[in-house]
Amino acid sequence: MRELWTKIHRWVSRREGLDEGLEDEIQSHLDLVVEGLVERGMPLEEARARAQREFGGALRIRERAREAWQFGRLETFFQDVRFALRSMRQSPGFASLVVLTLALGIGVNTAIFSVLYAVVLKPLPYPDSHRLVKLEESTPKAAGISVSWRNYQHWSEESRAFESMSGFVMQDAILTGRGDAELVNAASVTHEFLPLTGWQPYIGRIFTSIEDRPGAPPVVVLSFEFWSSRFSSDPGILGTSLTLSGTAYQVIGVLRPGLSFLPRPTAVYFPLGARIPQSTLRSDHQSMRVLAKLAPGATLERGREELSTLMKRLAKDDPGPEDDHRVTGRYLDELAKEGIGPTLWLMMGAVTLVLLLACANVASLLLVRSSARSRDFAIRSAMGAGGVRLAWQMLTEHLTMALAGGAMGLLLAAACLKVLRRSASSNIPRLAEVRLDWHVLLFCFAVTIVVAVLATLAPAYAIARRDVASVLKDGASGSGSGRGGNLFRNLLVVAEIAMTLVLLFGSSLLLRSLMAVEARSPGFDAAGVLALELQLPRASYPKPSDAEQFYSRLLEAVRAIPGVLEAGLTSCPPAAGSCWDWWYSVDGRPAPAQGEVPLSLFKISDAGYFRTLRIPLKAGRAFTGADQATSPKVAIVSETLARKWWDRPESAVGRQIKYGGPYRPGDSYEIVGVVGNIRQMALDEDYVAEVYLPLTQRQNPSAVIMIRTGGDPSALTSLVRRTVSALDHNLPIQSLLPLEEKLGTTLARRRFSAVLLSAFSSLAALLAAVGVFGVLNYWVRIRRKEIAIRIALGASPASILGWVGLHASRLTAAGVALGVAGGWFASRWLSTMVFGVSTRDPQIMLIAATIALVVAALAASLPMLRAMSVEAARNLHDA
Amino acid sequence: MGSVSTVDDPRERLEFLQGTLEVLILRSLQLAPNHAYGISQFLEQQSDSEFVVDNGSLYPALQRLMQREWIDSQWRTSPNGRRAKYYQLTPAGKKQLRAATAKWQRFVGAMSRILAPGS
Repeated sequence: MRELWTKIHRWVSRREGLDEGLEDEIQSHLDLVVEGLVERGMPLEEARARAQREFGGALRIRERAREAWQFGRLETFFQDVRFALRSMRQSPGFASLVVLTLALGIGVNTAIFSVLYAVVLKPLPYPDSHRLVKLEESTPKAAGISVSWRNYQHWSEESRAFESMSGFVMQDAILTGRGDAELVNAASVTHEFLPLTGWQPYIGRIFTSIEDRPGAPPVVVLSFEFWSSRFSSDPGILGTSLTLSGTAYQVIGVLRPGLSFLPRPTAVYFPLGARIPQSTLRSDHQSMRVLAKLAPGATLERGREELSTLMKRLAKDDPGPEDDHRVTGRYLDELAKEGIGPTLWLMMGAVTLVLLLACANVASLLLVRSSARSRDFAIRSAMGAGGVRLAWQMLTEHLTMALAGGAMGLLLAAACLKVLRRSASSNIPRLAEVRLDWHVLLFCFAVTIVVAVLATLAPAYAIARRDVASVLKDGASGSGSGRGGNLFRNLLVVAEIAMTLVLLFGSSLLLRSLMAVEARSPGFDAAGVLALELQLPRASYPKPSDAEQFYSRLLEAVRAIPGVLEAGLTSCPPAAGSCWDWWYSVDGRPAPAQGEVPLSLFKISDAGYFRTLRIPLKAGRAFTGADQATSPKVAIVSETLARKWWDRPESAVGRQIKYGGPYRPGDSYEIVGVVGNIRQMALDEDYVAEVYLPLTQRQNPSAVIMIRTGGDPSALTSLVRRTVSALDHNLPIQSLLPLEEKLGTTLARRRFSAVLLSAFSSLAALLAAVGVFGVLNYWVRIRRKEIAIRIALGASPASILGWVGLHASRLTAAGVALGVAGGWFASRWLSTMVFGVSTRDPQIMLIAATIALVVAALAASLPMLRAMSVEAARNLHDA
Repeated sequence: MGSVSTVDDPRERLEFLQGTLEVLILRSLQLAPNHAYGISQFLEQQSDSEFVVDNGSLYPALQRLMQREWIDSQWRTSPNGRRAKYYQLTPAGKKQLRAATAKWQRFVGAMSRILAPGS
């Protein structure tokens, strides 16, 4: 121990100086010899030559003296590497099996880790990102309410827990006067926003607090991407003006590339303070959210309490309809990985199992080979090579193979990432940031080393326990085939089957959940429907009636297109989320307390909408041509809303529903019909209350036209495009897609995890099959003699089959039992992802266990057949 | 691995048995610190030139002794005014020398009792 420590100490502290010291010493040694010779009367030159000659090769001495110092001895290491490469060349089949297995394990691990790193582990790219929070208003019943401008002003002026605060609103703008009209994603942000996110101008400047005030000259900042794609990176754009939604804005700057904060790529940024209506009402909401940075040392909890206290005070000083509003906040980095974090950790767990399987296979392969080579090792150790030395050599050999596997794994990971990025970029945040950067390379390298060490443990242990003499006497079958080796291989098989079963169970649960969700009725029929999304610019359609007239004409024109069966309009299509939540109340029911007013989703639609999507009418009537702007205001409600207040949908018809509830202003509408529920948020979400208002009585500039076609909806896209442009060639189309395609994205994340986990469990099953086959095959091979004797003693092939089969089924049974227990245990991590089934669904466990059994049986069948065909005579003679 | 040379030819010099060189080095340093050349001279003279110390064995042996901290080294000036690296025994080295000497004497005694029982 002490010796080792001295070695380490000297190695670290004096390695550099060592050679020099030795060289000096040898030189002084030579000098002393020469001196002695000269004293005895020898001429100096001759004395020198003789001293050199007698001293012996100085180089060799140096080498050997140095060897006494070093540990690994680079020389020996390279010798071992050469040995490893040679033995890989000698058995290319074996080597490629090992390398390929490791490449698979390391590859999927590296790929998933790189995603996990970029999406979950890597800090957000903002200065002090751990202090950034998103703030929203909340009531006891609802969170995530936008912050009103007046409240924001109070917060940012009076709060102490926050260093800085910024409001932002996502908007759209229509760029005109530069060729065809174009819809661009815009955002209005207060001037604190850009410093908060650490954004810098690429050219020009960002706006100041002076430009962030009402009445300031209109200015705009462009994103780098928009500038380079739309204006060919022309620096002359600075100072010119852009017409956006009818107003001319002066371009003052372009941001640096790669900046994104908002969930969608944003082309232009306006100063919010100059654009937002300066309402003094605390209840005047403009869809604004707040990004804030906590002061150093302040916690989110403290900040939230401070603001809520402030809101309580404001409720007294400046009362309004929203006096019950308080404040909620979330850390930005928490929000960024919300939902996807657990999924990715789960995937990481799954690929770790795959890696363990790969390691188990490789360890078992190496163990078999080390026992095949045990004679070789025994001879070497009889000749004086120490056990440690042999273990080092083995580790070097395995490291060489693992590194080859790691390099291949890296290539595999790069390929996997390409596929992942293409297939899932829309529903995983920051996926585009995934790189095989040095963190990932380090991870890959560390995994490779760990794998090599793990794979060396078993064979090295076998060597350490081996008795040299008995191996040399025994002949070919070394101790690797002895009790210890056998037990180890049996354990590997059990573990492989168990791990595979856990993965199979998990992926079956997710697949079953996906099927359950997909089988759920959305409440409408999306097949054959084309969805056309439009937004009318206020500049060209200033009056609400303009929008109504345009949409009516458009619907008429669309219905006239050959192949179109029906067309209808809605302001809020399925899967668009809660576009317009508002309070409501119904007549004949006691007025709810102020904080208890229920919310409903409000949508605008025309008479054709329900027919087009085949949403069934449950009671009353649909909208008709009689519902005009001047006629009594009417509404249609969803079944969920109707049943909340009345026993039967029919009872709702004829009642009044008031927009805004009892405490806010709003019109009353007569309920004329009740329609079926639809899944508004996503297929795996519950129904929400819905109110439909007729287009003739309530207008919205943005709308989605649903077009039912007789066949393939995408066949009509160009005709629809032409129809729109014939009515207004300045109107950009936001999107034009088959409805099913639009809806598919709501299940994308669910599908992503189900497909990925299935892929991993298939990989695991493949590895387990190879592992089971290898171990059983070896088991049979070393028992050839025993089988031959049994046959010679009259055992039938069937009984041999039974004997081997019993061994195989024991291992499989143990593996399945362990896997069932592990699956039960592990499935609780899936609880948030499972839908429509229990995480301990016995039927699914049965299916998974059956698959595992079939895989094991298939893998075992070949060794079993081989056992049956052992020729007694030959094997006995050989012995 | 050390090898024992046969002494069929009395003129052939003796080679060191494994482990003996290290004990002899320790012994040579018992009186005073010395440099590598001095050590080899000492061993040659004391053994009546039966032992010839090969520098290729001497240096690694010195390094091993250093590692075990049985000897220490430091650069000094020789009486002739030359700089040389002097080795000296550490307390642990003295202890080791005593132990090894006792062991060798037992070994030699046993060997000679067997090889020359009559004499």
